[in-house]
Amino acid sequence: MDNILSLSAVELGAAIKRGEVTSVEATRAVLDRIAAVEDRYHCYVTVVEETAMRRAAEVQAKINSGELTGPLAGVPVAIKDNMCTTGVLTTCSSRILNNFIPTFSSTAVENLEKAGAVMIGKTNMDEFAMGSTTETSAYGVTKNPWNPEHVPGGSSGGSAAAVAAEECFYALGSDTGGSIRQPASFCGVVGMKPTYGTVSRYGLIAYGSSLDQIGPLCKDVTDCATILETIAGHDPKDSTSVKTETDFTTALVNDVKGLKIGIPRDYFGEGLDPEVRDSVMRAAKLLEEKGAILEEFDLSLVEYAIPTYYTIAAAEASSNLERFDGVKYGYRTADYNGLHNMYKKTRSEGFGPEVKRRIMLGSFVLSSGYYDAYYLKALKVKALIKKAFDDAFARYDLIIGPAAPTTAPKLGQSLQDPIKMYLGDIYTISVNLAGLPGITVPCGVSREGLPIGVQMIGDCFREKTLIRAAYTYEQARGSYVRPGKEA
Amino acid sequence: MANVISDETIEYVGILAKLELNAEEKEQAKKDMASMLDYIDKLGELDTEGVAPMSHVFPVHNVFREDVVTNGDDRENIIANAPESRDGAFVVPITVE
Amino acid sequence: MSRQYETVIGLEVHVELATATKIFCGCSTAFGGEPNTHTCPVCTGMPGSLPVLNKQVVEYAMAVGIATNCTITQNCKFDRKNYFYPDNPQNYQISQLYLPICRDGGVEIETEEGGRKTVRIHEIHMEEDAGKLIHDEWGDCSLVDYNRSGVPLIEIVSEPDMRSADEVIAYLEKLRLIIQYLGASDCKLQEGSMRADVNLSVREVGSEKFGTRTEMKNLNSFKAIHRAIEHERNRQIDLLEEGKEVIQETRRWDDTKEYSYAMRSKEDAQDYRYFPDPDLVPVMISDEWLAEVRSRQPEFRTEKMARYKAEFDLPDYDIDIITGSKRMADLFEETTALCNQPKKVSNWLMVETLRLLKENNMEPEDIHFSPENLAKLIRLTDSKAINSSVAKEVFEAIFQEDVDPEAYVEEKGLKTVHDEGALRAAVERVIADNPQSVEDYHNGKEKAIGFLVGQTMRAMQGKADPSMINQVLRELL
Repeated sequence: MDNILSLSAVELGAAIKRGEVTSVEATRAVLDRIAAVEDRYHCYVTVVEETAMRRAAEVQAKINSGELTGPLAGVPVAIKDNMCTTGVLTTCSSRILNNFIPTFSSTAVENLEKAGAVMIGKTNMDEFAMGSTTETSAYGVTKNPWNPEHVPGGSSGGSAAAVAAEECFYALGSDTGGSIRQPASFCGVVGMKPTYGTVSRYGLIAYGSSLDQIGPLCKDVTDCATILETIAGHDPKDSTSVKTETDFTTALVNDVKGLKIGIPRDYFGEGLDPEVRDSVMRAAKLLEEKGAILEEFDLSLVEYAIPTYYTIAAAEASSNLERFDGVKYGYRTADYNGLHNMYKKTRSEGFGPEVKRRIMLGSFVLSSGYYDAYYLKALKVKALIKKAFDDAFARYDLIIGPAAPTTAPKLGQSLQDPIKMYLGDIYTISVNLAGLPGITVPCGVSREGLPIGVQMIGDCFREKTLIRAAYTYEQARGSYVRPGKEA
Repeated sequence: MANVISDETIEYVGILAKLELNAEEKEQAKKDMASMLDYIDKLGELDTEGVAPMSHVFPVHNVFREDVVTNGDDRENIIANAPESRDGAFVVPITVE
Repeated sequence: MSRQYETVIGLEVHVELATATKIFCGCSTAFGGEPNTHTCPVCTGMPGSLPVLNKQVVEYAMAVGIATNCTITQNCKFDRKNYFYPDNPQNYQISQLYLPICRDGGVEIETEEGGRKTVRIHEIHMEEDAGKLIHDEWGDCSLVDYNRSGVPLIEIVSEPDMRSADEVIAYLEKLRLIIQYLGASDCKLQEGSMRADVNLSVREVGSEKFGTRTEMKNLNSFKAIHRAIEHERNRQIDLLEEGKEVIQETRRWDDTKEYSYAMRSKEDAQDYRYFPDPDLVPVMISDEWLAEVRSRQPEFRTEKMARYKAEFDLPDYDIDIITGSKRMADLFEETTALCNQPKKVSNWLMVETLRLLKENNMEPEDIHFSPENLAKLIRLTDSKAINSSVAKEVFEAIFQEDVDPEAYVEEKGLKTVHDEGALRAAVERVIADNPQSVEDYHNGKEKAIGFLVGQTMRAMQGKADPSMINQVLRELL
């Protein structure tokens, strides 16, 4: 079969089921693609070639015997390197986990494996998911397949770029403040952060536990719904996981008639690249043409989301990352003098600058005398932000806006000014604070040739509304050129 | 900049976070933290009097396990990643003086 | 010393709960075992692992709170206490600061003067225990074992209401009894299932203000607590008398050397950065749940004492001793239910059991024989199948190894010989062999008969009924 790589995950799954291609062939094709372009994009920290080929053969046998019948059986997948995978190096793109081989797999990965997924490797990311460019990785920078002089976004930059570069058929990412939706926008792929609690966090190495959620990065909305249906579900190992309906593919319906869509004026103001604004507005108009009702409104509190987020995420991260101490796993400094010196040297050598910056900030805002002024205050503002969304969803079925203020910036531009980088998260971050689902769908390409994504935000556990709207938009939009088609 | 972070504060936070910064990193950390705090101080503009702090977004509560042993001896796996181990235990620099 | 000082003491008591599994994972809480054999990703802080709360922990904590007159916090939460130490695999301990499960309780104790006073309980919170560090002095390293990591604890924090070591011991004994009655813990100080940290300050008698307090750790017995309190009181008074200040600090008691030292380190900021644990959801205790736990509360000591008096008419002294230990009370009730001989059961517990406990340096909680075997023993003596001295011997075997007395008596051939012919022959031989005693008896020395009974018993290898010997002897003399 020609052009295996250009198939979507669901298309490939169907082709495998029909016997037009085998999982082994598809896996080989992806591995060959990786061999050809990985030097250029560097999407992966680890590629497990032999394991993947062996697994593909096993899965194919089970497909042949009728044991595996799901839509993703035999389809190669890439996993962000902050999800534990049994027997496979899991680094969080950090030096401090440079040799960590988990002895268990995250529930999301287990769910995929049960459905017959073939894991190709672990994708690069911002160290411990702290960043928006995938430049804070200890294992090198991932480049945007649309233009390797640009970043792929982050923190799930490796996953987004791998999908865009056809180095996998789909990938899992994690989203704490936009880490799926923003790189999806920068790389021209579909990315979704489900409602907090929809996908188990068990085995996801925590950054900001109250905000982290695993979700798919993929080629189209059909894949997105199918993957989410596979990974979602209540997990008794995650106390924050929720029992909810997960028949997401039933929402792949081309119809938005009567759907009320809110356009927050606050998302279209200062700082938004006009090209991005126009592209996103065109997407909204397209939905209106399909029968949706558009209305502008003031969401409010948008400018408070970022300071709220950084306070909460940094505080939780400072605590979550305490376990990396050179005692039980991972990196330990070579020379030390006593316990505390071992801790300090291990952590100072093991963590990169952005991680240290957030750990320091998080430790400070929780420290004696500052807790009320910073952390508690942020939790109160979080309640106000949630309330603002509740009010919006009392009037609208979904909210539409950009995923990021600009297209992908050039490599090396973002890290000098952290606050400016943090501002790039302005449209994604409040979704995490309020626990809401959000999806990014490609909606255009800039004059510079970089993709633009439209973000749709739904009320809690209303993924199906989002999927329906995104699917309808995708159908109306028509085909979308992926960079894998270049030259 | 409204916030000024002292050397003592950076030193203290380093003890809490178990991070050792060199002179240059310390200066950078002072600047970064001060500008982040200036930024976070923006939250002070909002009146949150009477607002209950929200740690969990959803009203999920009472998630329990029954008191039944489900795990066996998994020592080999648990110790497998240890930088240093002996007789099935993790080895650390001596903790008593 | 011209000035008079008063000691002010508050206690933080940690109690390991008697659950089968740890607080946040399905690992066993069984004591012992090779290092790290009762561990999993959760209780060793593996990246990506998450805690799930053991419901039984909440119920035990509620039960202790109800029994100590606390208000139960019906919306309680867990917080993280952050500090780096290798026995703490996540480098934070999951505990409760902001909304502990119980607050504002108290228990009544008896004071030395025979009066009563209430020691108020500030709060009780749930938390996880730390692992164990084994030090290799020669190797210059410590070995970390996480078998105890994640074992559920409750910490009972009192108000500074105690004024002497005796009051502290009375309070601890009271708590221990309540918790043992609840079955929430065995509360063994030596094994660390009950641990007390002592917060102590001194002030001049009459002063309203509290002095600066210290916290004393590593107290493994009531005796150590007693000694440490006396020592710390004197140390603080000496400092004040010398015009020095008491420093607020944590001190570690060394009971073999009988002194304490400050546990201080510049790396130890004591700033725990508590915040609500985002991995756990709130515990909401409904009125129904609370009522259900309340309805399951057992009969406590005071009620038991009254019932024993009314139902069994035991002496007050016996009741006091038996109800002073949950294990003893259980044994008493279970054995009595089997043999319906409350006084005899009480006697076995009061005399032989207490004697053997003392001889073996054991606590009542260490008793491991079954009520079935004690009941059988009582039946054997009632039926005169064995005599009382044989019964004592059999009881020792029951106490040590919980043997079945019927099988034991059979196996060892200890049954009383009821063959009158054999007894008569033995008595005749004893009379013939001891003319002096026979003469003494006839001269009115009643005591002589005791000697002859003893000689006969010896001749019968202890397996005779003493009243029968007496009867035959008197007849033949």
